[in-house]
Amino acid sequence: RQPLSPCVAGERLCSTEEATAGSGTYTRHGFIFSSLAGCLKRKNEDSELPVVSVVRDSESQLLPKVGAVVTCKVCSINSRFAKVHILYVGSTPLKSTFRGTIRREDIRATEKDKVEVYKSFRPSDIVLAKVISLGDAQSNYLLSTAENELGVVVARSEAGVQMVPISWCEMQCPRTHTKEFRKVARVQPQFLQT
Amino acid sequence: AAPQGRLLCGPGLRRSGAGLLVTKCGLLRHRPGGGGAYWVDSQQKRYVPVKGDHVIGIVTAKAGDVFRLDVGGSEPASLSYLAFEGATKRNRPNVQVGDIIYGQFVVANKDMEPEMVCIDSSGKSSGMGIIGQDGFLFKVSLGLIRKLLAPNCEIIQELSQLYPFELVLGMNGRIWVKAKTVQQTLIIVNILEACEYMTAQQRKQALAKLSGN
Repeated sequence: RQPLSPCVAGERLCSTEEATAGSGTYTRHGFIFSSLAGCLKRKNEDSELPVVSVVRDSESQLLPKVGAVVTCKVCSINSRFAKVHILYVGSTPLKSTFRGTIRREDIRATEKDKVEVYKSFRPSDIVLAKVISLGDAQSNYLLSTAENELGVVVARSEAGVQMVPISWCEMQCPRTHTKEFRKVARVQPQFLQT
Repeated sequence: AAPQGRLLCGPGLRRSGAGLLVTKCGLLRHRPGGGGAYWVDSQQKRYVPVKGDHVIGIVTAKAGDVFRLDVGGSEPASLSYLAFEGATKRNRPNVQVGDIIYGQFVVANKDMEPEMVCIDSSGKSSGMGIIGQDGFLFKVSLGLIRKLLAPNCEIIQELSQLYPFELVLGMNGRIWVKAKTVQQTLIIVNILEACEYMTAQQRKQALAKLSGN
């Protein structure tokens, strides 16, 4: 590879006869232009034309969109809502975690007023949730678990052992055999790994 | 192994696999009735909020519709101003910062802030609410409170023959006493604090000496 040289968005890099467009570039009128402000990277391939791409120092952060399923970890609970850290968007991990809130009325789809947050989530549970709003001024995403496939996937009991789900609302510890209440997610069989 | 019925595993014990693990230090007690119950009797001064416990709290702050109370746990408890007998949005209870309140927990677990109320499930106060002026509030260990709350407690019966007094016991280790004069109040406070380490014999001697004076 050749040394990196800086370029700005809109800069014309070369013609399409000399190279192929890679990431961070686009082609117009037979020329390759940069679409990002960053460093030009030229990769020489043996059989085909070299690939020209523009990279930034830090990769662009993947932002959760409305309707995306995210994996998050519960950090604190309250009688009105649960605060979570968003760790994964879909299946890509995030470099810095975002904060989210699951309100009490968004935990379940049915019997919303009888929900107790303490019987649905506990701190340090891993939860699958869906983004319903990009949030308020405190940049807290609003999340919801009001579906069968959403809810707690991994939880530890008070003894510290990972619990096994036994129904949609209970999980059991394999060592102490105590049952604890959680809003359990019904994970599709193709996503389970044994 | 118990012959019939279920073995009850009480405080201080935890089931682990096929056996029981002891999680607190103390004396192992056994109750043989109905399958048996085992628990560990331990000395403790630090209170952990438990749902249903009646405790004495001190009001530390008023935040909107809710009072913050210090109950001796890791977090201050919250008490809504509507949780008093006969309280409505117009008729607020007269609670100031620094008041002493006797109430019970409705929500108490290790993950959330505990919540207290001063009414029972039917809406009556049944002795709970703001504790009046005067009197003396002090702290003892939790084991002594459990001993004093046992039915037909000897200590309370002997003390009531000495002077008449009012007594409120909180499960968080706090006791409030009020007698007719300040001197009588202080005498009762000193006896209750010393009861932790006195034998029954020593206590009867001390009370005999006091009633003789």
